[in-house]
Amino acid sequence: MNVGLPHFLTVSAILFSLGLFGVMSRRNAVGILMGVELMLNAANINFVAFSRYVEHSINGQMMAAFVIVLAAAEAAVALAIVLAMYRNFGTVHADSVQSLKR
Amino acid sequence: MTAMPFLGTATSALTGHYATVLIFVLVGFVFAGLALGVAKLIRPSNPSPAKMTTYECGELPIGSSWIRFNVRFYLIALFFIVFDVEVIFLYPWAVMFRTLYPIAGLGAIVFWEMIIFLGILTLGLAYVWAKGDLDWVKKLTERPENGAATAALEEEASAP
Amino acid sequence: MELNLNIPSWSDLRFWLPEAILCITFLVALLGDLVVRGRRTWVPFAVSVAGLITAGAYAVAAMNHGLDAGQFQGHTIMGSLMIVDGMAGFFRLLFIFASLVTVLFAWTSEEIMGKRRENKGEFYALTVLLTAAMMVMAEARDLLMLFLSMEAVGLISYVMAGYMRTSLRSSEASLKYVLFGAVSSAIMLYGMSLLYGMTGAMEFDGIRNALISGTVDPFALLVVVVLILAGMSYKIAAVPFHYWCPDVYEGAPTPVSAIFSVGPKAAGFALMIRFFYTTFAAGTDAGTQLVQDINWPLLVAVMSVATMTYGNLVALRQTNVKRMLAYSSIAHVGYLLMGFVLLSSAGLASILFYLLVYTLMNLGAFFYVVAINNHLKSEELSDYVGIGFRAPWAGAMMVIFLASLTGVPPFAGFVGKFYLFTAVLDKQWFWLAIVAALNSVVSLYYYFKVVRAMFLSTPAEGTDMSPLKLHWLQYVVLAMLAIPTLALGLFFEEFKGLADMAIGMMGG
Repeated sequence: MNVGLPHFLTVSAILFSLGLFGVMSRRNAVGILMGVELMLNAANINFVAFSRYVEHSINGQMMAAFVIVLAAAEAAVALAIVLAMYRNFGTVHADSVQSLKR
Repeated sequence: MTAMPFLGTATSALTGHYATVLIFVLVGFVFAGLALGVAKLIRPSNPSPAKMTTYECGELPIGSSWIRFNVRFYLIALFFIVFDVEVIFLYPWAVMFRTLYPIAGLGAIVFWEMIIFLGILTLGLAYVWAKGDLDWVKKLTERPENGAATAALEEEASAP
Repeated sequence: MELNLNIPSWSDLRFWLPEAILCITFLVALLGDLVVRGRRTWVPFAVSVAGLITAGAYAVAAMNHGLDAGQFQGHTIMGSLMIVDGMAGFFRLLFIFASLVTVLFAWTSEEIMGKRRENKGEFYALTVLLTAAMMVMAEARDLLMLFLSMEAVGLISYVMAGYMRTSLRSSEASLKYVLFGAVSSAIMLYGMSLLYGMTGAMEFDGIRNALISGTVDPFALLVVVVLILAGMSYKIAAVPFHYWCPDVYEGAPTPVSAIFSVGPKAAGFALMIRFFYTTFAAGTDAGTQLVQDINWPLLVAVMSVATMTYGNLVALRQTNVKRMLAYSSIAHVGYLLMGFVLLSSAGLASILFYLLVYTLMNLGAFFYVVAINNHLKSEELSDYVGIGFRAPWAGAMMVIFLASLTGVPPFAGFVGKFYLFTAVLDKQWFWLAIVAALNSVVSLYYYFKVVRAMFLSTPAEGTDMSPLKLHWLQYVVLAMLAIPTLALGLFFEEFKGLADMAIGMMGG
């Protein structure tokens, strides 16, 4: 079997769907963030695959490297905010945080 | 890229590489299995209850290993992430540095760009350090506002 | 694989001075805050103000230079990642002005500078960095820079929303912001990766060339556009990606809400204008065909109507002034999207002009809330009864801002709306204009509710009616916003011309 572009795209699509499912079904803020990581990595797979099979250049891989860094930065900021929220509310469940008006 | 003769010359270079990995993995499994199997055959079998306990520095383990970790570990993990992922930029830079450095007008930029980048990161580390977030136990005496901050929390918790 | 090197040269920095200055200002302000151990807060404040003014001076000089030369078609910098052209110049000035008045006003705000607050210097440093990041958003011409700048603005905003970290409301606001932001940017990134695969290009003009060559399936393109639009409409808080907006604006400190309601939104519009105008090759026949193929006008028109109607209807039943202003800012995004329906240069220029007007009047309204909050510790409409007479000058200026937000002549908001309406009417989109006009009428009701509480309602017996003493800086900043709001309603030609030029001088 030859591994080609469709295989990469399939994996990435599955990963993206799993991530989106995680985001929508999780109550835990950390769980939601993990879903987001999956979605970002799905996009990364796409970028690297397209850079190999479509553009034949290094641009997509560069993009993937930057996305990895940004994902880490975002995770750091988000976890810090979750920590602050845990100290204030005593929970990390996103839907039980309801001090603001609906 | 020499295709491995025993796989046939028709395999592409890519498949050839994967075959190497596969063979490596197989050899690993066989080696480990062989060592364990031979040991089982020739060692004496003499089980006792003490031998079956989880090893923890000679002590009997207390409680479950599924415990809540101190929230401080998360902070340390955050700092680690921030200073860890910089390597993703350093590595490609280091690979290209030797090629790019001799080019006139480019060498200085390539060098100083990375210095500036690392300088900003160092500044971030210094900021964290000076704010006392690297200490395992934060010194509360240095922050007189802390008691007031708790009061503010209570005040705002009661606000509508 | 070929290696294309995008290595910048130092001479690029000449065109990027304002941004570079702001980045350095950020570092210096942060260091200064560290050196004074967070005690003498005027140090980071003074550094930020000085940096913003210097950057503003350079931005004005660059704009003048570009206008004198008769063309400001742009210099690409950092290889080809960014472009500094007329439109970038326009947004630079807008962002620096908005940040400067916010920093000045925050100095007098209890929520930022109150005795119990921690890390006061960080607010000023972060505002400066936010400005630089927003400017990059207006300059990006490559998918990489687009994503980087959007994330930079996002990350800084998340932190700023949670600035009062011991406050329940503030930390809840920042949690909602970060969760919605992370999800929508991930969705947008996936769309961008597909676009990259379809076109094989990262730069906007490379994408354009691939798109108009006609090899792209319109349905696939529509899917990609919807994914990317999801991320961008989160940034500008357009329906259906607006959920975070009211909660974040209500929970964040009011000066922070003020800058959020104009800065990142304007930056989002700048990004959308450059991205869609360039990649869809607007103005050319192939581009028109492309836009028709994916039914772009209907997509955006529906979004625009949904956004303005939702914002206005929900604003009607708000009792908290800050939250009401949040919904009103959603409604204004709906008006702004009208100029986006046809991707015509007239429509885009009216967006730019309206953003300018919107910045003045919306910042003004939010700042009034800050000033009142210092004394009342409340943003509830019921506490605003009779407040107009306790600080008459500030109250009068608030009336100007609210009237301008409604779009009543002779204020600037009317002129801005007039241009937006003209842009749609020119292309026979009558129903859109009619819905927008009806929406403006609805908005009159809730803006007037505030004015009525301030001046016309009789306060209950025993209400404290002593005059409020506002800081002199608050009067200065409010006047800085109120006078242009009045003046732009009468002498708008010059600034409309600037907006037209900015769109005309948008380099590819």
